[in-house]
Amino acid sequence: MEFDIVTPTTKSELLKAIKTNKNNFRFGAGYTDLILELKKKNVLNVTVINLAQLNDKKFNSIERNLKFIRIGALVTASSIVNDKFIEKNFPVLQQAANNLASAQIRQVATIGGNICTASPSGDIACALVALKAKCELLSSTGKTRTVSILEFFLGPRKTAMKKDEILSSVLISLNEKNINIHSGFIKVGTRRSMECSVVSLAYHIQSDKKNLITNVGIAIGSVAPTIRFAENACGFLIGKKASSLARGEKEEFAEKVLKYASPISDIRATAWYRKEALFNICKSILEN
Amino acid sequence: MSKKLNVIGTPIPKIDAGIRITGKAVYGQDVKLPGMLHGAILRAEYPCAEFTIDVSAARKLPGVIAVITADDIDCNNISYKKDHPILKKGEVNCIRDEIAAVAAESKEIAERAIKLIKVKYKEKKGIYDPFDALKPNAPLVNKYLKDSKFAKNISDIFFYEHGNLEEQKKKSAVIISKRFVLPRVTHCCMATSNITADYSSVTKRLTLYSSTQVPFLYQRDMAHALKMNASDIRVIQVVIGGGFGSKLDMYPFEPIAAILSIKTGKPVQIIFDREEEFIASPTRQNMVIDLIAGADKNGKFTFRDVTIVKDNGAFTSWGATTPFVMMQTFSSLYQMPACRFESKAVYTNNISAGSFRGYGNPQAAFAIESCIDLMADKLGMDKAEIRLLNANYAGEITGQGMHYDTCGHIEALKTVIEKSDLRNTNKETLRNTNKYESTNKEKETVNTDSYIRKNPYFVDNVDRYKRGVGIASMMHVGGGAKIYRSDGCGTTLKLDDYGHLTLITGSSEIGQGSETVLAMMASEELTIPMNKIKVINTDTDVKPWDVGVHASRTSFVAGNSVLGAVKKLKEKLNQKAAVLLKCTIENLIYENEEIKNSDGSNSVRIEKVVREMHFGGQNELCTVNHFYEPTSDFQDKQFKGNVSGTYAFAAQSAEVEVDTYTGNIKVLNIHVAQDVGKVLNPLNIMGQIEGGVLTGVGYGISEELIMENGRVLNPNFHNYKMLTASDVPDIHFYPIETNDSLGPYGAKGMAEAPLIPTAAAIANAVADAIGVRIYSLPITPEKVLKAIKEKTD
Repeated sequence: MEFDIVTPTTKSELLKAIKTNKNNFRFGAGYTDLILELKKKNVLNVTVINLAQLNDKKFNSIERNLKFIRIGALVTASSIVNDKFIEKNFPVLQQAANNLASAQIRQVATIGGNICTASPSGDIACALVALKAKCELLSSTGKTRTVSILEFFLGPRKTAMKKDEILSSVLISLNEKNINIHSGFIKVGTRRSMECSVVSLAYHIQSDKKNLITNVGIAIGSVAPTIRFAENACGFLIGKKASSLARGEKEEFAEKVLKYASPISDIRATAWYRKEALFNICKSILEN
Repeated sequence: MSKKLNVIGTPIPKIDAGIRITGKAVYGQDVKLPGMLHGAILRAEYPCAEFTIDVSAARKLPGVIAVITADDIDCNNISYKKDHPILKKGEVNCIRDEIAAVAAESKEIAERAIKLIKVKYKEKKGIYDPFDALKPNAPLVNKYLKDSKFAKNISDIFFYEHGNLEEQKKKSAVIISKRFVLPRVTHCCMATSNITADYSSVTKRLTLYSSTQVPFLYQRDMAHALKMNASDIRVIQVVIGGGFGSKLDMYPFEPIAAILSIKTGKPVQIIFDREEEFIASPTRQNMVIDLIAGADKNGKFTFRDVTIVKDNGAFTSWGATTPFVMMQTFSSLYQMPACRFESKAVYTNNISAGSFRGYGNPQAAFAIESCIDLMADKLGMDKAEIRLLNANYAGEITGQGMHYDTCGHIEALKTVIEKSDLRNTNKETLRNTNKYESTNKEKETVNTDSYIRKNPYFVDNVDRYKRGVGIASMMHVGGGAKIYRSDGCGTTLKLDDYGHLTLITGSSEIGQGSETVLAMMASEELTIPMNKIKVINTDTDVKPWDVGVHASRTSFVAGNSVLGAVKKLKEKLNQKAAVLLKCTIENLIYENEEIKNSDGSNSVRIEKVVREMHFGGQNELCTVNHFYEPTSDFQDKQFKGNVSGTYAFAAQSAEVEVDTYTGNIKVLNIHVAQDVGKVLNPLNIMGQIEGGVLTGVGYGISEELIMENGRVLNPNFHNYKMLTASDVPDIHFYPIETNDSLGPYGAKGMAEAPLIPTAAAIANAVADAIGVRIYSLPITPEKVLKAIKEKTD
């Protein structure tokens, strides 16, 4: 492993670094995955654009207006865990961040890293899919485009980002006022820390005053080449009353989610187990 | 021991705690010697193959000082059975096999040189299942084993029996016959394997900075391997970052570093990276246990008939002798009228197994305790009652000839039964206590849907989480184990002119806290405070002989050795003190670093006595030597005899919650009641209990080195599921003090015990919770879910 490192501190330095190192650079932010990867693949002659010193509000902060909350790509998992607004309004995101790796790693791991790694088992990424977040991509020309996270993941470690683009932040629409939310993240694995999920489920269900479901986001991780948004399962719930679903309806919902799963067997779990556990936890979120 | 104790039994932090937590401790990784070279090893690419090798390109790389293959060395084979060539020639038999090594000016150059070595392999079909290796047409795996008494591919056989098995079978109202499958797990030492070898071409002596836990056996083994004189080899033990039995054997990388140093005339260091550590360091013996066990209609155990096949891997380590411990448990844990035990260690092309804390005993406990629950079920008996009925007792002489002079088994069982309310398990009460939630400080929510639990509108399904309680016992040697020609330990004490004591012990510190406990003993007896006692225990050129750290023996054997030395030191001091105090030597009192006459009217400081001896005409130093050999016996050829100075007993109960949706097991509480003889240092003992239990929990529910056709599939912490701090259950420890007459202050060995019954107790708890039993470890979520599914289908 050998690499050069450049450390931009401003947005313009960052754009310059991307332009200069055309096609042969990697971004480093929390370095919880990158160093291991470079070491394992024995990568030579690559430039690491070190984002750790970048001082740019869009990248570094959590801000919100009346319509959305914006989370900078360099915001750490522990900052998300500790954000009271997120905890109250988007438990799915808070719980996903809190399930990531370990307390030590959450201090340095960034939301941008979790998304751009494009792992099918990404915890924060899974929650963001359930929340139908939008990714803001900054290109080396200085232009920003917005891509729905539902179209962002193309395959394992493959994203819709172009070579000269960087994820600056994600946007999440705020929940409507006076609604009930039922929101959470379930990670299935063996350990309680330092675990890579064998199945994960992110759900964000909104109901109106009459407890009728108005908006649903269901995402599943580790059971397909990418994190999947279970659109038909979401549609199934719209207009129903969450607290009084029949057993059959809950199972139908779980079956609909399962349609999006195409798991493989590996040393962590068999495909059978992943499906079985996924079915059960899907059911569980509607149980009372 | 009626004397009031001032130091023993008090919570004293480990004397090496400061250097360890501040990063000042010098581990093998920290050793830097002038002119030191870095070594690297090329290992096999195939687990079973013939090969040719060309190292010429590596030799030419600038910065490479030496490259060696089997053709360049003249060494003896190593290992317990001397069936292991240090560098392999022409063929490899496991994925760990060392075929070449490099010494270079930097680690990077060494690694680059390794990549330049060209090897041509002709892959062969290997044997990865020991049962296949036992088939008549199986190829021979290890051709180096000499004078084998056994059939092809068998490295070792242990056979033991006592009592009349047939008669006991007839008496049995219930007979359980089950197969148990135990996994390959590894130690996961924080410090990876390391060695720095420094050969002097001037003095022809070799110094090894090593993490061995048996320095004198290691010195002997190294001398044999290198065809050197053992006394020309000096072993300096670095601060050891985890042993747990893994450093009981010498492995090829150690003589390889020595050979490279001899060839280059410079110090050579070899340090494993984590992946290499997972692949090339030893594992616990994985095995298949077929156990047939019986009980009469009243629940009295009648017999155990056990047949074990162990996967030895390609070479034989000390771990092959684990049946020695297992047979003790099968023959003598709970009263046992008859036992037949047979085990085979079978060669395969897998990585070879080694020794691991517990030494076969966790495997045995799992099989035995599972069977006991099955017997209780069949007889309609209470699981606590059947154990109490059969428990070991003080004064028992077992079928194998072990003398249980003191025995806390019954008390241990009663304690955990009471603490976990096993008799009237009220699972609802257990559920409502919610102990886990209240103690889990970190907001970890993996595997649970905490939001659902907290949200009143989405209370979890009451049928989803099932709770259960399980119990298991263990018996282990507690006063050394006479398996080598001497099980003793030497001590040298040196009291200086300033009243400070240097305690030189043969025993080794591997993190277990031995040096602290030994210093505490000296402090107790001489009233010299802990900060005036230095413990020297790392240098074979200085310290007297000791067999090494194993068999939970150090506190007992090295402790008795210290007490023997202190007695001699006091005799010396007393003679001079009596003169100075103008009294007789009888009944002198040691108090606050002073020696007082019997009525306390006159006193002299210890340091003053030493100076009077040294400078006062007598011209003598206050130095003594003592060697302690336990009173235990060798076993006879039938493996009968009182092999240990004393025996330790324990019972544990596990309380678990099983998530029937995911199969996850949450271990809520582990209650540990253990006969430790006497608590010497409550802080240290708690550390041993917690560490042991967590290793046991991992063995029970998560850890396994997964192999397929001789390759390790998970050589990393990502996929090797060693548990983390957030997985630690509440561990409740209830020491049972039986005050063994032979132990120092009544203490017994206690260090291996805490992990031995844990997995067995968890397995019983899981069966209790879900109503279906799992016969292999680890009990993974997948196994649980499958078992539940099969039960309901």
